[in-house]
Amino acid sequence: MMLRETYALFIRELKHWYRAKVQIFMMLIQPIVWLGLFGQAFPIKLPPVALNGAPDYMSYMSVGMLAVTALFTCMFAGMSVVWDRRFGFLNKLRAAPISRGSIPVSRVMAAMVRAVISALLVLLIALLFAHIPGLQGLTVTADFGILNALGILLILMLLATAFAAIFVAISLTIKTQETLFAVINLLNLPLMFASAALFPITGMPDWLQAVAKVNPLTLAVDGMRQLLFAGSEGIYPIGVDILGLLAFSLVLVSLGIVVAMRALKEK
Amino acid sequence: MTAIIEVKDLVKVYNGNIRAVDGITFDVAEGEVFGFLGPNGAGKTTTISVLTTLLQLTSGECTVCGYDVVKQPTDVRRSIGLVPQELTVDDDLTGRENMMLQATLYGVEPKVAKERIDELLALVKLEEAADRMVKTYSGGMRKRLELSEGLIHRPRVLFLDEPTLGLDIQTRTTMWQHIRDLKKSSNMTVFLTTHYLEEADSLCDRIGIIDMGKIMAMDTPATLKKSLGGDVISIKIPGEVDYTDVIQSTSGVLSVKKEDSSYRVKVINGETATAPLLQEISKKGGAVTYVSLERPNMDQVFLEYTGRSLRDAEQSGGFDKLAASRQMRRSR
Repeated sequence: MMLRETYALFIRELKHWYRAKVQIFMMLIQPIVWLGLFGQAFPIKLPPVALNGAPDYMSYMSVGMLAVTALFTCMFAGMSVVWDRRFGFLNKLRAAPISRGSIPVSRVMAAMVRAVISALLVLLIALLFAHIPGLQGLTVTADFGILNALGILLILMLLATAFAAIFVAISLTIKTQETLFAVINLLNLPLMFASAALFPITGMPDWLQAVAKVNPLTLAVDGMRQLLFAGSEGIYPIGVDILGLLAFSLVLVSLGIVVAMRALKEK
Repeated sequence: MTAIIEVKDLVKVYNGNIRAVDGITFDVAEGEVFGFLGPNGAGKTTTISVLTTLLQLTSGECTVCGYDVVKQPTDVRRSIGLVPQELTVDDDLTGRENMMLQATLYGVEPKVAKERIDELLALVKLEEAADRMVKTYSGGMRKRLELSEGLIHRPRVLFLDEPTLGLDIQTRTTMWQHIRDLKKSSNMTVFLTTHYLEEADSLCDRIGIIDMGKIMAMDTPATLKKSLGGDVISIKIPGEVDYTDVIQSTSGVLSVKKEDSSYRVKVINGETATAPLLQEISKKGGAVTYVSLERPNMDQVFLEYTGRSLRDAEQSGGFDKLAASRQMRRSR
């Protein structure tokens, strides 16, 4: 029974997404700007051995951009929850004979799908950049096969599920858009910079390195780089990256369920 | 008749000190259209929220369709439909998609749902707009869609929270017609809240007047109005003949007061009493040159049962509660 309502609400979320063409455009414009300006202008000249095996810095940070795109997409998953509360739709759902769990679960699933699709689009753009004269892009040096592709998909899905779960849960306890924006702004930049997404952690001070090493973004980019670049020496073995992400998403999903169920109870 | 909604000593206290509902007791019979009439902040929406399982009650007992709202919320949710005060239809879906979503949430089989959706969209005259995005709809169209959404699973009880709030007069009349049609075509029980007397009067079998969380009076609209002295028909019959006795003996007339050639006639229902009254007078040879109908308004009814006028209630006593209820809505 729960499947039916979860699916119906999941489809609603996706319809909102693909019908809001401007939103998709804005979501993609940001990584394109990052890749096109930040990545091209940053004069980091490091050998592949310092870049997790990436042939150049652009290739290195493109992978980081995939994870960051997934992170940002998930952070905004809570937006629709806040809107639905504002317009009374959430109350309508609470009055319906549905499993309460379907409300957060459908949104987490939809956020995960949106995040993975957005990240894959960024991947395509980064690959394309490498073929445009005068621009740098992502150059894959690994012997790339179906397993590598599935590995990248799995990593993105785990990362997105973890972040979507926690942000949907947070947004269920928040009443206004402004508060949600504040929470997002508080978390997005630290999460992005205290990770191996944009810069190799070897250049960071010890305390920042310690934080970056347990940041799920680091696990995600570390795993994906090993799947994309030949001779990549990861921070962790790829198995550890994936298991770490799995554990992380299990913890955040459980935490999300507890927070969401408390928030949805009648007062 | 069996009671389909039973409320006993219901109390709801917000934030430990605001008594939004202060010990109310009432029953609604199956098939009845029951209305709660009162100013903003009187406790109408709070009562609906408790009965529709959206809000935890502080004390008291409520059952809907035989299910306890606290102990069997899922059974209650399955048997009722709710048309909330706010417009909650989804702007970014079409009317039909909104209906389909609602049908799925209420477990209506897709095949049955498709037929019912066509039927309901026709009922509220939205067939042509059905496949348009709701964001292109007017306020009245949204409200009609909202109403038909509440009916998709053929609920035994339909809750309408301020069904015509903020609608223009034409749309309001259409909504009333839809609700009347519903009553005629099914044995659905309707519980509605309103702060328009005309609305309560024209739709409800029984009205409860509620103020500051208490029920001040509960009866049929006719009886309530009768207790206020009913409607007043003013007529003018020039000439020397006194028609007081003729008027007094017409059915439905409560009392007559004559002033020169003008008569103030108190009747139970002005709309139905006027024509027979005029007939009786003309039968006796009277030539009526002026007729007007005055009906008791919300202010009078309210004044009668609460001891203060509606405007005062909204400005003073009720104001804090109004603010509180707004705050509640935001924080829910």
